[in-house]
Amino acid sequence: MSGEPSTLLVNMPSGPRIIPARGWSPSHLDLIRALVARELKGRYKGSVLGFLWAVIVPLFMAGIYVVFLSLLMGRGLSVERIIVGVFAWQYTAQCVMAGLNSITGNGPLVKKVLFPRGFLPLSAVLAQLVNYALSLAVQFGVLVLLSLRGGPGVDADVLALPLVVLWQTGLNLGLALWLAAAQVHFRDTQHLVGVALSAWFFVSPVMYDLEWVRPVIEAYPWVEHAVWLNPVTPILAAARACCIRGLDWKPPPAGWVGLLWTPLILGLGILVFRRAQRHFADLL
Amino acid sequence: MSSTEIAIAAVGLGKRYRVRGLAPPTLWTRLASLGRRRPAEFWALRDATFEVPRGRTIGVIGPNGAGKSSLLGLVAGTITPTCGRVETRGRICSLLELGAGFHPDLTGRENVFLNAAILGIPRQEVRRRYERIVDFAGLAEFMDEPVRHYSSGMYVRLAFAVAAESDPEVLLVDEVLAVGDVAFQLKCLDRIRTLQRQNRTILFVSHALQTVEEFCHEAWLLHHGKIVARGEPPEVILRYIREYMGEGGPVFTQEFGTREAEILDVTFRDEAGHETGVFETGRPMHVEIRWRAHRRLERPVFGFSIKTANGLYVFGSNTQIAHVPIEAIEGEGVTRLTIAPLTLMSGQYLLSLSIHSWDHAQQYHRREDWYPFAVRNTTGALGAFFLQTHWSVTS
Repeated sequence: MSGEPSTLLVNMPSGPRIIPARGWSPSHLDLIRALVARELKGRYKGSVLGFLWAVIVPLFMAGIYVVFLSLLMGRGLSVERIIVGVFAWQYTAQCVMAGLNSITGNGPLVKKVLFPRGFLPLSAVLAQLVNYALSLAVQFGVLVLLSLRGGPGVDADVLALPLVVLWQTGLNLGLALWLAAAQVHFRDTQHLVGVALSAWFFVSPVMYDLEWVRPVIEAYPWVEHAVWLNPVTPILAAARACCIRGLDWKPPPAGWVGLLWTPLILGLGILVFRRAQRHFADLL
Repeated sequence: MSSTEIAIAAVGLGKRYRVRGLAPPTLWTRLASLGRRRPAEFWALRDATFEVPRGRTIGVIGPNGAGKSSLLGLVAGTITPTCGRVETRGRICSLLELGAGFHPDLTGRENVFLNAAILGIPRQEVRRRYERIVDFAGLAEFMDEPVRHYSSGMYVRLAFAVAAESDPEVLLVDEVLAVGDVAFQLKCLDRIRTLQRQNRTILFVSHALQTVEEFCHEAWLLHHGKIVARGEPPEVILRYIREYMGEGGPVFTQEFGTREAEILDVTFRDEAGHETGVFETGRPMHVEIRWRAHRRLERPVFGFSIKTANGLYVFGSNTQIAHVPIEAIEGEGVTRLTIAPLTLMSGQYLLSLSIHSWDHAQQYHRREDWYPFAVRNTTGALGAFFLQTHWSVTS
């Protein structure tokens, strides 16, 4: 700690730069860990059930959808598919909302201390990932319970689930970066996103699956392309294929294209965020 | 001087803001402003070029909105400059305002680790220093309480304790110490002294002029985004009081009277007769008052009073009390007041002068709080006043 000062911080119109560039350091890992811990602890501190809420909420949601959809549509909807779909969708929806406010909600910090700003949306997403991992444990518990009553159960495809979660995390982080930066520059992003998220929920096969829209697809074949080009459709389909025995991952070409959203949104998100972060302190 | 001996160097540093009003930006305001002319702009800081050698403590003073916090933000790297550049060598620690980055629902303990991580202190290092941090903050029995139950003073104490233990090479302090109680302020200042002894560089923004004078090697005066003066703290502080404190500052000067006799101008002189604004405790202070009487005035009285910059009335007297009767004044003349020895301690003071009639019925001219001066105490004695002392020892 003592001795010759080591680093030089050069602050210029193109942004602050540390020389020599530090790259990745253990203190960065400490910081991300601390931010994730803050996010998780802060959310459930003071509530009686604490972390249980992370699983209770999606469970309730899935329960509501199952009950009301079977009331409205009659039998024939797979409870397992709805549960897997809702849990996976919740992960993306929560990341979008948490990522959106990750910079504006930390104004004093961003204004006072220099650290990689991207850590804020990143830790918001990672905290949601922890939640999702917990809720997946519950999800599998429910799937096993349902299999006792004639459900399809779980097979070895589940080993591929981490890959799907990773892909989804990349998409979520990309969205979080975009939206966090946009929210600093335009405070109405929040409201637009709120509306867009509910629209997105209905056009994505969350509480239904593609089997269910088969009649529509037969009448209008382009709908199938459109549905698969939705960035979450291939992810939801893959999550179901991993978690439910007997379901296979066989997307049409449009589905493979839909998967490319993740690197595209994430890559551009990083670029946009980097450019935008120079002015964060001015706008907070 | 080698380049590693310069802690902070800025060249043509400037920061411009667009005036957006107080509301945060929305899509609508952006669209609405597209067709219109460019929004108004102002420079929070302009053309700042300076070098701060390692180990120096700079006090940054100036009226509200002068650009002090922008300067600190630019040095810390949190604000991106509009033009120019600033280079800072070594680990920087900003003393976070009221524990920015504290999460109200987390306990004091959890927040110590969080805050330390934000400041870039490795985790093992925090664990090692945890007891010292808690000890310094004096909050041992509260560490498992959520900080939302803390008072604002406790908040700052914990924040300062973490920052102090982060062992910064460059410490940026933005007007936070005023929140803690007196005992803790002294503790903080003591820690700042320790950092000074360790050759750390400190930028110290404060309205506590007394503290700036006591602690800083150098003072900078900012006004409207420019560094208008740099130098010895007493002189810079004096200039600040003279020129800018009227702008929303605490000094409210007044002038009244019939003006049958007028105070023209006033010169402060030290014991050698040189004009000055800064006096030394225990040495004489001379005040020359040039006046003009528009008619012959019988038995006038010259009076003066001294207040501290905070408005505390220190002393007041006049020629009547001092038994110096003046038969009459007419035309122009000079009245000399000598205070010897000056028994005021370090600080900024305001001199008021008046000319009035013997029976106090007529105020000819009174200038209230009109003439600021500073006092520097180099005697080593402590306290509110300098008492003339004589010791004798017999055994």
